[in-house]
Amino acid sequence: MKRWLLLAVLVSLLAAVGACAGATPETVTVVETVVVTKEVQGETVTVVETVEVVKEVEKEVVVTATPVPMEEPVILRLGQNAADLGSLDPHFATSTQDRSVVDMIFNGLLRYKPGDGAFDKMEPDLAEDFPEMEMVDGKQVWTFKLRQGVKCHPAGKLEAYELTAEDVVYSLEKAANPDRSAYAGEYTGMTFEAVDDYTVKITLEQPLSPVLFYPKVANYSGGFIVCKKAVEALGDDKFKTHPVGTGPFMFESYSPQEKVVLKANPDYFRGKPKLDGVEMRYIPDISSREAGLLAGELDVINGIPDIAWVDRMKNEGNVTVDVFGVGEVATVHFNTSKPPLDNPEVRKALAYALDRDEFLALFGEPIAENVYSPVPAKFLAGGLTKEEVEELGLAYDVDREKAKQMLADAGYPDGFDLEVITSEMTGYRRIYESMQAQLAEIGVNMKVNVVDHSTMHSQIRKDVNPIVVYIAWRPNADVYLTRFFHSDSIVVTGAKPDTNFSHYDKIDDLIEQARGETDAEKQVELWKEAQIKILEDMVAYPLQFQQQVYARANYVDYGHDLVSVFALYPGITEQTTLNK
Amino acid sequence: MIRYIINRIILAIPILLAVFTVVFLVVRVIPGDPAVAALGDYASKEAVEALRERMGLNAPLPVQYIRFLTDMLRGDLGESLINGKPIAEQVWYVLPFTLQLTFASVVLGTILGVPLGVWTAVKRNSLIDYIGRILSLAGLSIPAFYLAILLIFVFAVKLNWLPAVGGGDLANKPGESLRFLILPTLSLGLIMTASVTRLARSTMLNVLNEDYVRTARAKGLTEWVVLIQHALRSALLPIVSLIGLWTASLIGDSVLTEIVFSRPGLGKMLVGAILQRDYTALQSIMVIYAAFVVVVNLLTDLTYGFLDPRIRHSR
Repeated sequence: MKRWLLLAVLVSLLAAVGACAGATPETVTVVETVVVTKEVQGETVTVVETVEVVKEVEKEVVVTATPVPMEEPVILRLGQNAADLGSLDPHFATSTQDRSVVDMIFNGLLRYKPGDGAFDKMEPDLAEDFPEMEMVDGKQVWTFKLRQGVKCHPAGKLEAYELTAEDVVYSLEKAANPDRSAYAGEYTGMTFEAVDDYTVKITLEQPLSPVLFYPKVANYSGGFIVCKKAVEALGDDKFKTHPVGTGPFMFESYSPQEKVVLKANPDYFRGKPKLDGVEMRYIPDISSREAGLLAGELDVINGIPDIAWVDRMKNEGNVTVDVFGVGEVATVHFNTSKPPLDNPEVRKALAYALDRDEFLALFGEPIAENVYSPVPAKFLAGGLTKEEVEELGLAYDVDREKAKQMLADAGYPDGFDLEVITSEMTGYRRIYESMQAQLAEIGVNMKVNVVDHSTMHSQIRKDVNPIVVYIAWRPNADVYLTRFFHSDSIVVTGAKPDTNFSHYDKIDDLIEQARGETDAEKQVELWKEAQIKILEDMVAYPLQFQQQVYARANYVDYGHDLVSVFALYPGITEQTTLNK
Repeated sequence: MIRYIINRIILAIPILLAVFTVVFLVVRVIPGDPAVAALGDYASKEAVEALRERMGLNAPLPVQYIRFLTDMLRGDLGESLINGKPIAEQVWYVLPFTLQLTFASVVLGTILGVPLGVWTAVKRNSLIDYIGRILSLAGLSIPAFYLAILLIFVFAVKLNWLPAVGGGDLANKPGESLRFLILPTLSLGLIMTASVTRLARSTMLNVLNEDYVRTARAKGLTEWVVLIQHALRSALLPIVSLIGLWTASLIGDSVLTEIVFSRPGLGKMLVGAILQRDYTALQSIMVIYAAFVVVVNLLTDLTYGFLDPRIRHSR
């Protein structure tokens, strides 16, 4: 009898565990929205027939103000390549899965045109127009006039309120504070001031050209404007999973390991979004994302940079694959502090041993394209084109006989041995492995050790690799050159150790001069000159850029053409629709 | 019996303590910097340093260890290093998904596996037996995630009967979330079925040759009573321990299944925490896994005591 009692206790215990487990999740989903509904209802009393409909649905009807009978809300479901979000505080959003969400929630003072991140296509965003610039006591002052009537999303008990200069100054100061932003370094020497409710003054100790200044106040990284009252009400930590901005979509809920749900912002200053909401689903496995798209459970997915995959998806019939910029540039950095790579002739020999087209074939056009300077000419001012480089004789087109000869002349007729680590990520591993095979042809034996991605990042910053392949997107030429080639940025030993893996220190003056140059044309010339030096000394061999690959169901219309997007996703705006 | 239970529980404490220590050290041995992982490679140096300080990573290891231990003893799982959210909140959200999947798989493995094993043992060397043996061998050889991909392809992509990704809305629509459970349960449960079937068959074969089974038959009991009350009863012990082992290992196997089906769960959370070097999350998840295994083993032991009076009364 006792035994049965015990069994009964065990069973009920299990059941209890199950039951409380089942009940808890409610606490996580964040509930808000109450305020909006009221407000909107107050405005439009005309639509009476829709009163019985579900709450969510009411809003849609009211704002479109068309007496269409309500159907299912139109939600775009995007499968992103990640297990979970990192941080939705835009000043901490660094990964693709975070950048793509904050891009929909926040605005900058200026913005890159949706679908085309070219500098000359930039537009005013929260600002009414491009800023006025004047010099005051040797300092550069930029004055922004803000758009009026822009509303911050409501958040919990906090009602929607108008965004003013106070918010903008608060946000930029937050972006400049290393404790509260990952991009603080971009804002040193800058002060921000609210002149009146709709005027913001930004003062720069060191003058900058628009090419360098605008990105800092655009919808990218630190330039995203957060709403002061919301950040203060939620606290910095909570803000990371409850972002509040002014963009076309506003945060609705977050389910850990699963998804973030956004809903349309009916008060968006460019007009109410055509979509009712967006679901960002975190699906780290490509075969699952693919299955989700093909089974109709997802509308857009992040693909993989592999031409075979792209071709296969294209054959599915009802799927479209988009390949677009920005291209993350893969560059081979030679460590000039480590023999025998301290000898420029040896580095040049290695460069002649490498074949860009062989690397290109690893990913396939148009996913990857060859580049000829560290700054990609296709996307940014200051890059060198193939023609320019060839004219200077600095293309280093493959010539393995010449490479062997140069090695022999430098005292290495039988080649030498190298050992490197690579990330396990396909983009990196394929390049290192191909390089290993190519260098073997001239007698250089490179041992390649595979480690996980995060480990590679920390190890190469400790100067372990004689050759570093680095794949990165940076918003302008100055950032590329400063962080990869200025002596301050030399790994371990630099004044501000960063990502100068080659230990190069010969173009500091050119980089600084270009940074301070306010004449756009002269600035571009200086950048080009700096990169010619890099190629002449062969401290870095520019390889290719790798573009973004996304697949979508044919009925998805982003509302813009896709050329290049800084947020590394197709860009979802108020114009995006599903033509089901 | 009560003393037996208390004994088992006291024995679990040093095991958990050892687990805490190993977990703490393992997490810190993995190379890679959580601050860099969190802020990305474009972050400025100052910001990375500030974050390291805030994360408490600049404190000496023993200090970090004491902090970790006291937090764990207080039942405080801490906050995610990456998004600042309390780990407990996330765990409470994802845990039901993992428990649901594990529980369903164990149930499937047991209610399919045991009868199949008994049946094939009774019908030894018949066609049924051969088919059963081939199928269970196949089941043992196929990895769960591969089976998962096959199932998705057939039932979600081609036939469109069941969802391919996600875990459904467990909190608000538990009924509907069962649709999301079917394929993952099949992919985990079928493999367990194979293993349970094989063991049940072989132990039943042994038992069926015992004298007391012959005696039972000689007494004129029906075959049904002989099988269930006499043979299966004593064959159950190794089967129960196998089910216990499987329950523990299914919690681990569910990592891959959760990734393939993109179900929220402890496994998916673990992978995310590793990729982002979220030390606090990683520690907590591993501790929870360890606690799981300890608890499952405890329950298995207790079931032994329940099934076999000799164990219960030995101490």
